Amino acid sequence: MIEAQNLSRRYGDFTAVNDVSFAVGEGEILGLLGPNGAGKTTTIRMITGFLPPTGGRVTVGGTDLFEAPVKARRQIGYLPENVALYGEMRVGEYLAYRAGLEGMKRAEAKRACESAQERCLLTDVRNQVIGTLSKGYRQRVGLATAILHDPEVLVLDEPTVGLDPKQIIAIRELIRDLGRERTLILSTHILSEVELLCNRVLIIDKGRIVAEGTPESLRQSSRGASEIRVAFSGVDGATAEKSAEMSEALGALSGITAVAPGPEAGEFRLAAVTDADPRAEIFRLAVAKGWTLVELAQSKASLEDVFVRLTTNRPAEAAAIEEGAGPATDADTPDQPDEAADSAEEVVS
Amino acid sequence: MRAVLATYLRELRAYFLSPLAYVVAFFFLAINGLLFGLMITQLAQPGAPSGPPMGYFFGSTWLILIVLGTILPMRLLSEELRSGSIEVLMTAPITEGQVVAGKYLAALSFFALLWLPTLGYAGILAHYGEVQWGPIAAGYLSVLLVGALFLAVGTFASAMTRSQLIAAVVTFAILIVLFLVGLLEQLATGEIWKNAFGYLDISAAMDELGKGVVDTRRLVFYVSLSWFFLFLTGRALEDRKWR
Repeated sequence: MIEAQNLSRRYGDFTAVNDVSFAVGEGEILGLLGPNGAGKTTTIRMITGFLPPTGGRVTVGGTDLFEAPVKARRQIGYLPENVALYGEMRVGEYLAYRAGLEGMKRAEAKRACESAQERCLLTDVRNQVIGTLSKGYRQRVGLATAILHDPEVLVLDEPTVGLDPKQIIAIRELIRDLGRERTLILSTHILSEVELLCNRVLIIDKGRIVAEGTPESLRQSSRGASEIRVAFSGVDGATAEKSAEMSEALGALSGITAVAPGPEAGEFRLAAVTDADPRAEIFRLAVAKGWTLVELAQSKASLEDVFVRLTTNRPAEAAAIEEGAGPATDADTPDQPDEAADSAEEVVS
Repeated sequence: MRAVLATYLRELRAYFLSPLAYVVAFFFLAINGLLFGLMITQLAQPGAPSGPPMGYFFGSTWLILIVLGTILPMRLLSEELRSGSIEVLMTAPITEGQVVAGKYLAALSFFALLWLPTLGYAGILAHYGEVQWGPIAAGYLSVLLVGALFLAVGTFASAMTRSQLIAAVVTFAILIVLFLVGLLEQLATGEIWKNAFGYLDISAAMDELGKGVVDTRRLVFYVSLSWFFLFLTGRALEDRKWR
């Protein structure tokens, strides 16, 4: 549906996007993932025709975006990162104006506006002046604008940034709903959003694609073994012997490569080889020995691990940075938004 | 075409939704009314120069035109650049040229609407005496043509910057130069220079048209120069994408 070939974009001496190629098929939901400043927005702006690439080309449904811009843009609906609207207009007026820009006739425009307002839950505020709307509502007006002409491709740049948790949920639901009928490209730095919505992911860092695949395949490709947390009750600090016995028994299980004692007595952290799931064996061991199992959890490598690994400075570069500071701050970047997203999900439950 | 119409209507509506338009309209009509009143009083004195009163009126509007040319279009594109709404505008199926056309025509329409009430002056004159409608029509034509040029300059400056204020200052400077170049006619010595500056003389052109002299060379000059500035505006918008 949309194809980018060897896209590059330079701003003076700075290369924001460097030789990026990808194709998005019909009905696919592609997530563009990357830390801030990775080149996501520049890429998005190039595939929507706002910025011309300094190298490479983009086709939308077979139409070259820079040879036939008007025709190609008709097939794209775009929600930019900063939704700038005309604050003095009313919601309904603005949508009617956009319908005119899309070349719709009066009756068609009216129908399109009504349906877009309905889908984006704007019917109640259609007579409100846009300048008085909250950020969440403005975002919805932006979305309504993007879907107004029923485009085949929908491109959303950071659609949930700056919204409160409740609005994030509403917008995400809307996006998932919209993605059922059309090709969707979504840029974000929030990992849970990608896991929730996308069926394919591109990870971009420093203007290049560093990984590509389904969220599942990316997670699997992650090196590093899974970790298992085990805790038994009734082990006091005094009985170091018992602790040692447990540790030994656990280490003897197949698939376990290392055992480390946890912060409390009776708690252990086990490293398991990739793809192994020794939890059943641990349970049987506990039953056989008569130990009371109170906790047993295996943590899988998350998309976050993949993301952090791919977008953090390589070891050589990290060493050059002052001790510890480099990797720590780098890891922070993807963490923070993710926490925000997590808290958003808590509200649901 | 529909996209140009949509842009045009939105922009025209934006004029009526902004307080600036009403402030401009108020002072425009107040100043013009005062000017017209004073002029009539003076012309009614014994020993006053003869000639059509509306001709004098049009001859005195150049300063107002410069002010309008500076203020009316300053928002057109710079506001889009400042707020970032240019991004949703230029990803819609519309070309830079169509955006410029829609916005410029809206400014020109608002400008024309401002002048509409001044037809009442001619009405007053017609009520109390004889008026020649030909020169009055030519006078309005001159206002429209010079206005079209000034607004085109303002639209161009507006596409160059995200600040309305800078757009206004740049426009004002260009318009002053455009206007003063014509006055060099009086200082120039060589025949060729005199003619060349005379051709550019906006104030003389307005005087001529106000007296009913329609010179096609002047018309071509204003229309082509307006078109030139609008062309530059489109180019400026396209150029922004490469920086």
